[in-house]
Amino acid sequence: MGNITKIKLKNFRRFKTFSVEFDENINILVGDNESGKSSIIEAINIILSGSRSKIETIGLENIFNSSAIATFLASDKKIENLPTLFIEAYFNDLSNFELEGKNNSDEIVLHGLKLGIVPNDDFSEEIKAILSQTEPVFPYEFYSIKFATFAGEAYSGYKKYLRHILVDNSQISSEYAIKEYVKDMYNSYAESLVKNKHQNEYRKHKEKFKNVVLADLNATVPDYDFSIRNNSKANLETDLTLTENNISIENKGKGIQCFIKTKFALSKVVENLDVVLIEEPENHLSHINMKKLIREIEGSEKKQIIISTHSNLISSRLNLRNSILLNSNSNEPTLLKNIDKETAKFFIKAPDNNILEFVLSKKVILVEGDAEFLLMEAFFQITKSTTLETSDIHIISVNGTSFNRYLEIAKTLDIRTAVIRDNDGDFQTKCIDNFSDYSSFPNIKVFSEIDNSVSTFEISVYNTNKSICDDLFAGGRKTLTVQEYMLKNKAEVAFQLLDKKASDLTVPQYIKDAIEWISR
Amino acid sequence: MFAVAGSGKTTHLINQLNETDKFLLVTYTNNNVHNLRMGIIKKFGYFPTNIKLLSYYSFLYGFCFKPFLNDKCGTKGINYEPNKNKFAKSNKREYYIDKFNRVYSARISKLLLVTEEYKSVIDRISKYFNHLFIDEIQDLGANDFNLLKEISKANVKLIYVGDFFQHTFDTSRDGNVNKNLHEDFEKYTKEFTNMGVKPDTTTLSKSFRCSPTVCKFIADNLDINIESHREDETTVKYIDSKEEASEIISNSDIVKLFYKEHYKYDCFSRNWGESKGEDKYFDVCVVLNKTILDKYKKGKLQELPATTKNKLYVAFSRAKNNLYLLPHNLINES
Repeated sequence: MGNITKIKLKNFRRFKTFSVEFDENINILVGDNESGKSSIIEAINIILSGSRSKIETIGLENIFNSSAIATFLASDKKIENLPTLFIEAYFNDLSNFELEGKNNSDEIVLHGLKLGIVPNDDFSEEIKAILSQTEPVFPYEFYSIKFATFAGEAYSGYKKYLRHILVDNSQISSEYAIKEYVKDMYNSYAESLVKNKHQNEYRKHKEKFKNVVLADLNATVPDYDFSIRNNSKANLETDLTLTENNISIENKGKGIQCFIKTKFALSKVVENLDVVLIEEPENHLSHINMKKLIREIEGSEKKQIIISTHSNLISSRLNLRNSILLNSNSNEPTLLKNIDKETAKFFIKAPDNNILEFVLSKKVILVEGDAEFLLMEAFFQITKSTTLETSDIHIISVNGTSFNRYLEIAKTLDIRTAVIRDNDGDFQTKCIDNFSDYSSFPNIKVFSEIDNSVSTFEISVYNTNKSICDDLFAGGRKTLTVQEYMLKNKAEVAFQLLDKKASDLTVPQYIKDAIEWISR
Repeated sequence: MFAVAGSGKTTHLINQLNETDKFLLVTYTNNNVHNLRMGIIKKFGYFPTNIKLLSYYSFLYGFCFKPFLNDKCGTKGINYEPNKNKFAKSNKREYYIDKFNRVYSARISKLLLVTEEYKSVIDRISKYFNHLFIDEIQDLGANDFNLLKEISKANVKLIYVGDFFQHTFDTSRDGNVNKNLHEDFEKYTKEFTNMGVKPDTTTLSKSFRCSPTVCKFIADNLDINIESHREDETTVKYIDSKEEASEIISNSDIVKLFYKEHYKYDCFSRNWGESKGEDKYFDVCVVLNKTILDKYKKGKLQELPATTKNKLYVAFSRAKNNLYLLPHNLINES
């Protein structure tokens, strides 16, 4: 079975240079907007399709890295410095010498395909003329588009070295996308001999319709005949659709369309597919359907799956170790395959979590629960006189004390992480010994009260804001002290404080320390 | 494996093929590619995917050169002319590649040797094939012969087939490189022994195509060993009357084979060299030009320069039936 081992890009979309390695099974491209997830899926789709028309439809001016073009136009515009573009897809060893050779940027004998978009030397003079103009005009028209294997052999769409399908849920509504999808799936199921037979039969049926059904009508029409159209715009492939319980896919809800398309593409029956590309499967899907979809993806065998997603659920449930992180500020993808197995397992099993937010952040404050989470923003505002967003700091509640799971990842990804936790009456054990594995990492630091008697966040807040708390929470109760009330109604207390006294609060010292440290 | 003309080389190669091992077949002319292809389809009823059949330059350029040097050299095809720049140095690009980025056909092998990419070629052949068959081996000269020496180290079973005396041109002629390779049959076979390829001069020493009469005529006049599998007698005739000449010239079943420029004559004709690998002529008429006619009359055809002699041998050995010798003065340019 064939799969992609690596993709390399040069001057493609937002990537000046880019390289990412893939696992033979599941790969999840994770990143914020503009990080280039979709561009990578698009690059794979282009190179495996071997389709010039796909590139021409997009347009070279859109496909080329805009800053490479701008840099060139701002330079002395020498013809030899014209930017070039390539997409390289490296494959596993398919024992096919048509694919194998050194014509790749690694210059190693490997299997793969390459798309090169370079200035066409046959038009060197024309290019020179354009470049000598004072206006900044880029000679896109004189670039050649060439698909070749690493053996140096040209190839085009009809030769499929790896068979793939794109399930694009971001443009699901378009009729064209559905047609393309149905066509691809039909081609994956039907052998070419069978296809020819189908097409032939379909044509014959149309003729029969004309000769039998329309015959009476045509007999009444002088000179002309009504007939059924049969051409490149009206044939079996254009008329095919997919139905479930006799309802065509176009007439289903968007969420269900997405679900059906993905499930169908992953079906074990489809043996003629090597690579399944899924773009943002979470679009239009409810939580329940998303969980179902994840099960489908998990269960799929013998196919390489490459998914782009924003979804925490998809990324953590499909094993974080399959995730590839893309950051809009960097060209280096981060692979999570080095995260230890237990940690990855934890995030698969853990209830819905914010792991994506965590891995995509540079600075994070981890807190135990909702109370801390609610008040942190106010504490930060008071301490730094600015907001968390502008400082690019994220607060994540771990809903418990499983800080270490996050710290394992912080360790690997070098995320600056402040842990704010209660000492639970045993500072040495809870806050020192517990984190001894991370004491040598300068990007990780734990903050807590040292005094064992100040065992929780609420006690600390009460100690530093006694009068505010007494004012707010003393009212008319006999059985519980203010302190006891606060401990029993953590989230509610935090909300009240935030709602009524946000700017008057005094920040406990250890939290202040944490804020200062993370801001540095 | 040294074969004589019409001894069934193609058939012999096809007999070695099966549907399980992986075969790479390389042959020089498009004619032979066609013959082999037809033979293979006839044998198996289809063209099996385990057999790869390539013409010589598809092999050298497409299979050996492009996978390793295409992007590195930025080449766009082959220039079949020799490099006119005699002063180009062999460590310079212009020595191998012309200004239109075409690689000189005669120096493809040399480029593979100097870049040491021949090692990648050896790996490639070893990885993808169990057998390497090269047909018309006698035409590999100069740099190509040096590459052949290296390729012979590939971990595959090799069969090289050729007819030493049908050596009419070199795939790569390049100055003095291997210039004397084809001077002497003994020395030539020794080159193969040195490569670890055992010369076989008996299996294909008899012709199916030519009759004992034609074989004897060739052996007597050109001093080339060729015997026949057949026992029937045919005619070898020197034409000396105008009437007989014009009858033969106008007979479109008899091909007229010229030393060169056959298109100048208004009849069914070919050049000697081009007719190599062709196996479709029944009666053949070989037109003798002045030089050759003189030698023939003196019984000294064997003294002709090797290339001319070999071409003449090719021409003579096209005849399945009768062979006519026509003096040049009995045929007029149109």
